[in-house]
Amino acid sequence: MASLKRSLDSDPLAANISSKVYVRSTKSGKVQKIVREVYLRQDIPCSSKLCRRCLNTSPRDAAGQPRPFVLSEAPAGTSVFQQGHYLVPDTNAFLTAMDLFEQDSAFYDVIVLQIVLEELRNRSLPLYNRLISLTKSEEKRFYVFFNEFRLETHVTRQDGESVNDRNDRAVRKAVAWYGEHLAGTGAPKVPAVVMLTNDRDNLRKAKAEKIPACSLAQYVNQLKDAEALLDMIPDTEDQETIIKDKRPGDPLYPEYFTISKLMTGVKNGLLHQGIFNVSLYNYLEGSIRVPAFPKPLIILGRENINRSIDGDLVVVEVLPKDQWKEPSTQVIEEDAVTKNENPDAEETGDIVSEKERKTLQEEVKRTQNKTTEGHAQPTAKVVGVVKRNWRQYVGHIDQSSVSQSSQQGRKQDTVFVIPMDKKIPKIRLRTRQVAELVGKRILITIDTWDRSSRHPTGHFVRSLGELETKAAETEALLLEYDVQYRPFPKTVLDCLPKEGHDWKVPGSVDDPGWRDREDLRGLLICSIDPIGCQDIDDALHSRPLPNGNIEVGVHIADVSHFVKPNNAMDTEASIRGTTVYMVDKRIDMLPMLLGTDLCSLKPYVERYAFSVLWELSPEADIVNVRFTKSVIKSREAFSYEEAQLRVDDHSQQDELTTSIRTLLALSRKLKQKRLDAGALSLSSPEVKVQMESETSDPIDVKTKELLDTMSLVEEFMLLANVSVARKIYDAFPQTAILRRHGAPPKTNFDELANQLRVKRNLDLSVESSRALADSLDACVDPSEPFFNTLVRIMATRCMMAAEYFCAGTQAYPEFRHYGLASEIYTHFTSPIRRYADLMAHRQLAAAIGYEGLHPAVRSRGRLEAVCKNINVRHRNAQLAGRASIAYYVGQALKGRSEAAVEDGFVLKIFSNGFVVLVPRFGIEGLIRLRDLAEPEPAAEFDAETYTLKTRGSREVTVELFGKVRVNVMDQKDEVTGKRGVKMELVSVY
Amino acid sequence: MASSQHVLLSPAELAYLHASLSLIPPIRPDGRSPTQFRPLVAETGILPGTNGSARICFADGTEAIVGVKAEVERTALRPGEDTIYLEEGGLEGGDDGEEGSSEDKRKGDASWVEMTVEIPGLRDDDSGTAFLSAMLSEALLADGEFARRLWINRRFHWKLYLDIILISPPLSYPLPLLSLTTHLALLSTRLPRLKSEGDEDPFFDDDWAAAPYLFPRSSETSAHTTTSTTSTSTRPPITLLVMAVANNIIFDPSKEELAVADAALAVSVTSTSSHTTTADADPIRQAQAQEQEEKEGRNLRLLSIRTIDPPSRLTPPGVANAANAAYGASLGASGQQPQQQQQKSTAVVPVMASETEAVEGVWRPPRGGAKRAVLGALVQKVLEGGGVVDEVLDALEGVDLG
Repeated sequence: MASLKRSLDSDPLAANISSKVYVRSTKSGKVQKIVREVYLRQDIPCSSKLCRRCLNTSPRDAAGQPRPFVLSEAPAGTSVFQQGHYLVPDTNAFLTAMDLFEQDSAFYDVIVLQIVLEELRNRSLPLYNRLISLTKSEEKRFYVFFNEFRLETHVTRQDGESVNDRNDRAVRKAVAWYGEHLAGTGAPKVPAVVMLTNDRDNLRKAKAEKIPACSLAQYVNQLKDAEALLDMIPDTEDQETIIKDKRPGDPLYPEYFTISKLMTGVKNGLLHQGIFNVSLYNYLEGSIRVPAFPKPLIILGRENINRSIDGDLVVVEVLPKDQWKEPSTQVIEEDAVTKNENPDAEETGDIVSEKERKTLQEEVKRTQNKTTEGHAQPTAKVVGVVKRNWRQYVGHIDQSSVSQSSQQGRKQDTVFVIPMDKKIPKIRLRTRQVAELVGKRILITIDTWDRSSRHPTGHFVRSLGELETKAAETEALLLEYDVQYRPFPKTVLDCLPKEGHDWKVPGSVDDPGWRDREDLRGLLICSIDPIGCQDIDDALHSRPLPNGNIEVGVHIADVSHFVKPNNAMDTEASIRGTTVYMVDKRIDMLPMLLGTDLCSLKPYVERYAFSVLWELSPEADIVNVRFTKSVIKSREAFSYEEAQLRVDDHSQQDELTTSIRTLLALSRKLKQKRLDAGALSLSSPEVKVQMESETSDPIDVKTKELLDTMSLVEEFMLLANVSVARKIYDAFPQTAILRRHGAPPKTNFDELANQLRVKRNLDLSVESSRALADSLDACVDPSEPFFNTLVRIMATRCMMAAEYFCAGTQAYPEFRHYGLASEIYTHFTSPIRRYADLMAHRQLAAAIGYEGLHPAVRSRGRLEAVCKNINVRHRNAQLAGRASIAYYVGQALKGRSEAAVEDGFVLKIFSNGFVVLVPRFGIEGLIRLRDLAEPEPAAEFDAETYTLKTRGSREVTVELFGKVRVNVMDQKDEVTGKRGVKMELVSVY
Repeated sequence: MASSQHVLLSPAELAYLHASLSLIPPIRPDGRSPTQFRPLVAETGILPGTNGSARICFADGTEAIVGVKAEVERTALRPGEDTIYLEEGGLEGGDDGEEGSSEDKRKGDASWVEMTVEIPGLRDDDSGTAFLSAMLSEALLADGEFARRLWINRRFHWKLYLDIILISPPLSYPLPLLSLTTHLALLSTRLPRLKSEGDEDPFFDDDWAAAPYLFPRSSETSAHTTTSTTSTSTRPPITLLVMAVANNIIFDPSKEELAVADAALAVSVTSTSSHTTTADADPIRQAQAQEQEEKEGRNLRLLSIRTIDPPSRLTPPGVANAANAAYGASLGASGQQPQQQQQKSTAVVPVMASETEAVEGVWRPPRGGAKRAVLGALVQKVLEGGGVVDEVLDALEGVDLG
C-alpha cells in the first residue's frame, strides 16, 4: 500500500504561483477559510530613477508610457549613509511615528512595502489614509512597492513561523533585494537601502543578514535637526524597559473585556455600546447615551471611566443598584485637583489620588444626607473600548509639572500637557525640548493609555507658536475643530474658469451659458447682507402683478454652474463642507475667485443666478411658485443698517425702496404664520467683536442688534428653502438632500421645567413645538426683561441639533423641522458657503429638467456619507466661530485698564460653585466658593430649591436665574499658564 | 446499484473463482494475500478552499475525493438553558482540568454533520447511494464522540459538510474507498482556532496556520493532553469491506471476488488510545501510559456492522452436466404433448438437485443468511491487533497532511 503526495514540480509555472490562506470572520458570524492565489511577476519596477532595467520592463499604460519613477537618483544622505539612502520602514515605524514621516525636513525617498501598507490598513485606518496621501504627494517621493507580487521578493510562510515573523522576513528580503538590485544598476553612487524598525529581534536578524537597518531613534540621530524630531518618536523602547523594571501586577485600571465578549454582551443586551461624553464641569463624570435606555447612563470616577476619552465608542456595563448615584452637583476641574502631580513618578499607589478621594468623600456625604433615594440614577462602568476617537490635540505644557533641572539641558523629560479641550485629560509627554516648548501652543497626539498609567501618554507633533499670539491661537482653534485651513491645492484652482476675474456673463444670448436661462436683468433686484459681506449668496426683488398679487423673487448665486460634480474643486468643497467664520478670518469652502467675485451677486454686474419666483397673495399665501436658472443684475448691495434706514426714511419713494417695503410687509405676515404654526424663536447669546481697523486688535464687544431687515431676508430664505425642499423631494423621494430638526425627547426638558416650576412657578409644556413656544412666551419676569431670553437660551440647549439627511433614510413624519415648525426643509440659499446648498442646487436643476442628474448626486450611499461629513463640519464650524469670539472677548477685556463690572445671571448651581452668564459679552464663567473669599466660606446647597447659601467668611445667597453683579476680567493661571475669562462676584441683587 | 454492477462472469467462471478462493490459502485473481489491500495512491489538501480534503485512487482505477467544509452554527437552546453566563468565560480554561464537568457540557448532535455521497451515473436518492451514505455517517456518528468535537460552546457549534464524490465509474463496490478517503479528509481537517472564551459569540484566530486539526495527531496530542478530553487520539472511523468464501476471510474484495462471496460485511472500527486518562496531570504516569500504548498498539473499537447483500446471490446458477439437457441429461426429443409435460417435470428435478446439493465445479449461488460463526470470525479478524486495520491506519497516517 503506497501513498504519495503529488509534487507541484511537474507544473512548469509553479514557481510563479503562490497562495495566501487566512480565516475571515464576517459580520454575520460566518467563518470562512479564504485562499488567495498570488501570481508572481517580474515586471514590477523598483521605481528608482537610477534603474534603467526596470524602466524598460515596467508595465505601460494605454498610451504606451510607463508610470514615472518616484525615487530620486540622488537621495539625501545622513551622517552614516553619506552616499544617500532610501528608507524602508516596517509597519510599526508608521504606527508609532507617522508624524515623523510627514515632516518637511527629512524622510524623503521612502519605499512603502505592500505588506506594510496592508498591515497598516488592518491596524489603523486613519494612519493608512495619511500614508496614502503621502504616497500621492509628489514632493515626498513615497513609493509603494508591491513586494508580495514580485517573484524575487515574495516570501512563503515557513512551518511554525508566526505571521509577524514572516512579514518581518518579507521586509528584510525586500530590503536585501533592493540593495542588490540597485548595486546592479552600475550607478556611480549607489544609495543605501535602509530598513527602519523598532523591533529588536528584527534589527538583530537584519544585522546577521548584513542588511542595513536602524531603529527610529538611531536613524533620527543621524539627521541634522535630530533634537526636534526625536520628540516625535513615542518612547516605546524606553517604556519596555520601564515595564520590565517595574514590579509586575500593579495595574491601576481594570482590564478591558475581550472583543468577542464585548460583542456577545452587546448583542444580548447585557452590555451597552455608545459614545462616551465627559461632563463639562466635572472631569470625573461622564455620560453615555445608549439605545436601550431613554436617559443617558452616568459613569462616575476614574476607575469606572477606565481610560476612555471623550468621543470614544465604548461598551459599558450597568452597575448594581446599590452603586447608583446622583449626577454630581459639584464642579471638579482636573487642573485644580491634580495640580501638583509629578509626571515622572510612576504611580505606584492607587489610581485615585488622595485629593480625588477627598472630593469623592464629600460627594458621598452629600448623597447620604439626602433622604430621597429616588434621585439616584443608574451608573455604569466602561468595560471595553470599541473605537478610539483620538485625534491630535492642541494644548500647552503645565508649567507646574516642569522640574527645575529640565529648564536647561537636553535630557528627555516628562511633563504634563493640558489640552485646550477641557474634556480631554492631561496627557503625559516625554520631550527633550521642555525649555523651548514651555509657553507655546503645541500639537500633540495620544499614543497609548496603559493600565498601569494614570494619564495617557502622548508625543509632540509640532509647535504652533507662542501662547496668546493671534496666529497661534487661531491655528489652534482651527486644528481643534478640524477645520481644513490649508490653501487650495493646484488641482482645485485648475477647475476655476480660465478668464479669472475677467469672466463675464456672455453678451450673446445664443451662448451655451444662456441655455434655458431666463433673462431677469430687467428686474429691480437688490441684496441685503451684513456690513462688509463679500460673498453675496442671495438677492431679492418684488413687483406688483396686475391681478393684485405680488411677485417675489429670491435669487441665489448659481454656484453649481462653476462647480461641476466630482471634479477636484467639488471634492475639496465636499470635504470642507462649509465656510468657517472666525472673528478676524474666514476659511472659505470655495476659492476666493468664485466666492467673492464670480458667484457673488455683486451689484451693477450681470451674474448667473438660480431663481425662485413666487406669486404671493397680499396675505402672503403662495399662489404659485416656479424655479429657473437666470441672469440677473443686482441694482444695489445694501447692508442691513442701510436698508433699514432707507425703509424708515419716508422721503424715499423710489421703486427699489417701495419694493423693499413690500417685502418687509410680506415678511411680517410670513413670520406670523410661522409662529402660529408653532415655530420657536430661540436664542443664544450673540455678540460681535469690534476690531480696530488698522491693527485688527479687538477693542470692544457689542451684542448684536436685531433689525427688521434681517428678519426680512431670513423669512424669504426660509420660504425659498421650504419651496425647494418640496420640489426636490417630489422629484427625488429617495435621494433629496433635506434638513431636519428632531423633536427633543421630553426628558431633555425635565430639569429646566423643574427649575422653572420651583424658582418661578412657571410651567413649561413641551408636548409640541407650539406648546413650547407658547410656554416660552409666558416665561416673563416683569422686573427682569432679560429673563425671557435667559430661559430661551437654556431651552435652546435642551434641543437636538438639526441635521442634513438623505430623504430615503427617514420616514416622512421624521422630516419635520421642529424649530421652524415646517414639515420639510432644506438648505438652498447659501451655496457659496455651504456644500449642502450646492447639492440642493444640483438636484433642483435636475428636477426642473435643466440638466441631468450626475451619478454622484444620485447614489444614496455617497449622499449619506456627504451628509454625515457636512453635519460634523457644520457643527465644528459653529463651535470654532464661537470659540474665536470667546477668545477675542478675552483679548478685548485684557486690553482694558479696569475690570468690567457687568450684570450676569446664574445659569447653573453646584454645591461648590455656580455658573454665571454675562449677556453683555455673551460669555459664561464659573465662580467657585473658594473664589468668593479667603478662606473658603462654608456653604449649604439645597438642590431642591437650587439655592446656595454661604456662611462664614462671606455670606451670600445665590439662586438659580438670580441676577448678580460680577467683575469680569481676563486672568492667567500662574501655575498652569492657562488663560481664561475669570469672574468675581461683586454683589447679588 | 446493488453492491456492485452486474458481473459479467459465466457460472463456470464463478465456480472456478469460488473454488480458488476457497483454497487454503486462497488464490485471489490478482495474486493478493487474503488480507492485502489493493495498492492505492493518496493525497490530502487537494481542495484549498475546504477545511480538509483528500483524494484516493485505487490501482483498479476507482478514485474518490472528499471535501470537508465547516460552518459556525447556532445551537438551538433547549428550554431552561437560555441563560448565558458571561462571567464564567474566564474560568472556562481552568475548568477543563476536571474532566467531569467539561465532559458534561460538550454535547454533540447527529445533525451537526451533513454528508452527501455522489456516485457518477446514479441519482443522489438512489437506494445504493443512500445506503452508502447511511453506512458512512453511521460509522462517524455511532458513538457520539465525533459530533462532540464540533462543540464550540453552549450556544454555538461547527456544522460539518462532507462531500464525498466518486469521480471514476464504480468499478468495484466503493465503500472502502469512500471510507478511507473520508477518513483521510477528516484527518486533514482543521478548524479555525477559537479565541473567545465561554459562551461568547465565537471569535476566531485569522491565522490559518494556527488552526488546530480536528483530530490532533498523536505527536501533538501529548502536548495537548491536559487541555483536551480523554479521547484525543481517537481517529476517524474506517469502514472495511470483508467477505467470507468457504472458510476464508478476504479483505478488500474486488468486484469479481465479491461476486462469489458467501457473506460480505461492512465493519466500521475506530481506534482509541489504550490509556483513558490522558488528562492525567502526572507526567510519569502519562509516560507510562504512552509506553503501554506503544506496546499494545492501538485499541480498536467496533462501531457498527452491516451485512452487504453480495451480488453473488443474483448470479445465475450453473447447471451440472448431469442435469444439462444439452448433454442429453435425461431425455431424448421424441414425443409431443406428454413428453413435453414430462420434460417439464423431469427438468425440475435436476435443478432442485443442483440447489440442494453441491456439485463439484458447478456454480451455486449462496442461499440464506450468513452463518453466525462466519460473522463472528469476520469481526474477530477485523479487530485483530496488528491486523489489516492497523496496516491501513498506519498507511493513512503516513500520508503527508501538508
